[in-house]
Formats: sequence, C-alpha cells, structure tokens
Amino acid sequence: MYPAINFGPLVLPTAPFIILIGVWVCLVLAERVAGRLGLDAVIMSGLVTTGIIAGFIGARLTFVFLYWPAYQNNLLGILWPINSGFNVWGGIFFGAAAMFFYGRGKQIPTAPYLDALAPVLVTGLMFFSLADFLGGPGFGTFTHMPWGIESYDMSRHPVQLYEIAVGALALLAWWYFQNRHLFEGQLFLITTVVYGFGRLFVDAYRENTWIAPGGWHGLQILSLLAVLAALFLLMRGSQNAKAAST
Amino acid sequence: MFNSRFEWAIIFLIVLLLGGAWIIESRESNIEPQNFLLTEAPLVGHLAPDFTAQTIDYETFALSEYVDREGENGRPVVLNFWASWCGPCRMEMPAFERASLKFADRAAILGVNQAESAETIERFAQTTAVTYPLLIDEDQNINYKYAVTNLPTTIFVDAQGVIREVFVGTMNQAVLENKINALLEE
Repeated sequence: MYPAINFGPLVLPTAPFIILIGVWVCLVLAERVAGRLGLDAVIMSGLVTTGIIAGFIGARLTFVFLYWPAYQNNLLGILWPINSGFNVWGGIFFGAAAMFFYGRGKQIPTAPYLDALAPVLVTGLMFFSLADFLGGPGFGTFTHMPWGIESYDMSRHPVQLYEIAVGALALLAWWYFQNRHLFEGQLFLITTVVYGFGRLFVDAYRENTWIAPGGWHGLQILSLLAVLAALFLLMRGSQNAKAAST
Repeated sequence: MFNSRFEWAIIFLIVLLLGGAWIIESRESNIEPQNFLLTEAPLVGHLAPDFTAQTIDYETFALSEYVDREGENGRPVVLNFWASWCGPCRMEMPAFERASLKFADRAAILGVNQAESAETIERFAQTTAVTYPLLIDEDQNINYKYAVTNLPTTIFVDAQGVIREVFVGTMNQAVLENKINALLEE
C-alpha cells in the first residue's frame, strides 16, 4: 500500500522501517516478559538478540546461495546492498539454530525460556505482517465483503490484518494463562495452538501463499502439524503435572 | 484445562477435523497449467500489470506496446526499479545500459524510478550515460502495482506479458544477459 514514505527529499522504505521498529519492540518485550516470569532478563535479551542477528545473516546468506550466479563475480554484493535480498525460511532456520546453541551454551532450562519467548515471537510475526500490509508484496484473495481493501485494482481480503488479529488472540491467550499455567512450557504450547490454528484459518485468504504440489497450502499443513504436536505435548504435560501434584 | 484423556482426545479430533476440512476447502484445484487463469498480479507466472508512464523527455511508454498477450508479435521486457539515492541501483546501471544496446530491437529495458520527481531524475540522468528510457513514477503507481519494496528490483516479463522472474538485489552483466537470452530463446 505504501512501499515508501517520503520525508522531503528522504525516501524511507516502509517494510524495513516497520521491521526495525519490530526488532526494538521485541527486545524491550523480551526483557519485560523475562522479569514477569522470574527469568534472567540479560540472558533472555541475549537469546533474542542472537536469534535476530543470526536470522538476519542466515536470511541473507540463504538468498545469496539461491542466487549465486548474481554474486559469484561480485562478492562485495553479498555485503552490500544489505537492505535487499533475504530468504525468510533461511532466516527462521538460522535464527532458531543460533538460539538453540545460545541456550545450550548458557545452560538455561528450555521450557521456561520458551514460555517467555512465545509472546516475543508472536509480536515479531505481527510486525512482519504489518510491514507486509503497508509495504510488502503480500495480498489477499478477492472479496465482496465490506471490509475488503482496494489492492491491485480489486477489493481483496486484508489478510495481513487477519494475521495481526490472530497474533493478538495468541497474545491474549498467553496473558490469560500466565498466572494459571500448570507446568513450564505450557504457555509456549498454548500460544502455538492459538497462533497456529489462526494462521491455518487465515492462510486460505492469502493470494500469494506457498502452494505445495497438488494445490495444497503448505503453510496450512505445517500449521496443523504444529497445532497437533502442541496439543499432544499439552496433554502429556498436564497429565504429568497432575500426577506430580497428587 | 482438560481433565481426562477422553476430553483431550475430543479436542484433538475436533482440531484435526476442522483443520483438515479447512485445508481441503482451501486447496487450489485449478493449478494445472491448462486451467490456469492468468490474471494481472505482481507474481511469477501471472500477467504483468499493464501501465503507462512518461520519461523525462515527455515520451509515453505503455507495457502493452511491447508485449503481445494474444499473439507472437511482442518482445521481452526488463523492468528495472531504481532510485537516484540507491547506490546499488547506480552500480548496476552500466550493465543495463550495455544490455539495452546489445538487445536493442529484440528486448526492451525500462528503468522505473521509485517516488522521485522528474527534476531529480533529469538531474541524475545528466550525470550518467544512460540511454534506455527512465520512467517517472512519482506517485509510485507502477512500484505499487509490482509490489516493489526493495531496490534494486528487476522484473523479467516475457513476450506474452507473463512475469517470469522477480530478482531482488544487484545484478551483473552476465546474469542479466543470460536471463534476457533465456526469454528470447522461448
């Protein structure tokens, strides 16, 4: 909708700007959530920072790997321009791997830190959706609903706003259960169930989604698997917690 | 939360049934090439959105003048999105200039500016030796149509007006020529 914001002669690309704000919000949130759950705020902050930096570098290197012919005679191009050319899946993989090894290095307990990470991750994803809505390439399917937005000369579902609403629901669930959870890791699993199921639902309205062979929406299948796995772990955790308390 | 295994099993089943049904409902059934409906969209495999724009020399260019959606009289078009403040865009411009001379009558290379005024583009053009058309897109209509968020972005459109590739980042001479040759060989 607004790929760039003009401030006089200065042209600010909207999507990277929103993501930059998202990074800052996530870092602040990480410290606060750690404090609320009684975790070490410095370690939590280090965990999130490591994930963000590794994700950023990983996304860039994956992109360079995929488009190697464009870089093989221009190695400097790998470093600059740094504001273009990223692969989301590479970023997720490298970010998650870096956080895993950071956690191992610091010997932190996995479950409580996952509980604290859940709202940070969801908030980060909400900022990605907002960046995509304002200045990104994503757009929804056609609709005649009154809340459809004019996009590419047609009224379309504001699918990124749906994603933000799903994120808000997941945050609400995390907030509701933060003082009611039975076992460590439960908050992360509940957030995964709510966010995963929500994304499974709204992905049907995304036009430029990942279509797997056979016409299936790849993200929906991944979401359903994540939700089922989280539900199974929730059941196991709840039963273990009850058995331990009796 | 839930107390017994039975309650958990019910929840599990409900999620599986609802999620599964929604996935089946959302499945794209018309993705086979013979059924594929080509609509204008900034996506590979879709028709490139048409546009009309002016150059700093007041010449008017329309994408539909180059491509031929119905027949075989079109030629490939390379849309290079750029801005004068974008160093990498300037870095790759000589490659586009050489390609525009090399493929002169066989493929069109258009530089689509992002958000800058005609005066700024003109000032910039005077400092370079670029001869291919630099289109003004001050209100970002074309940038918006092609969902350009990063600069430089280069979009390869075949002679029938279908987007074949969206390349984000700088491009060297060899890669650019390879991609144009691939479009010409089709």
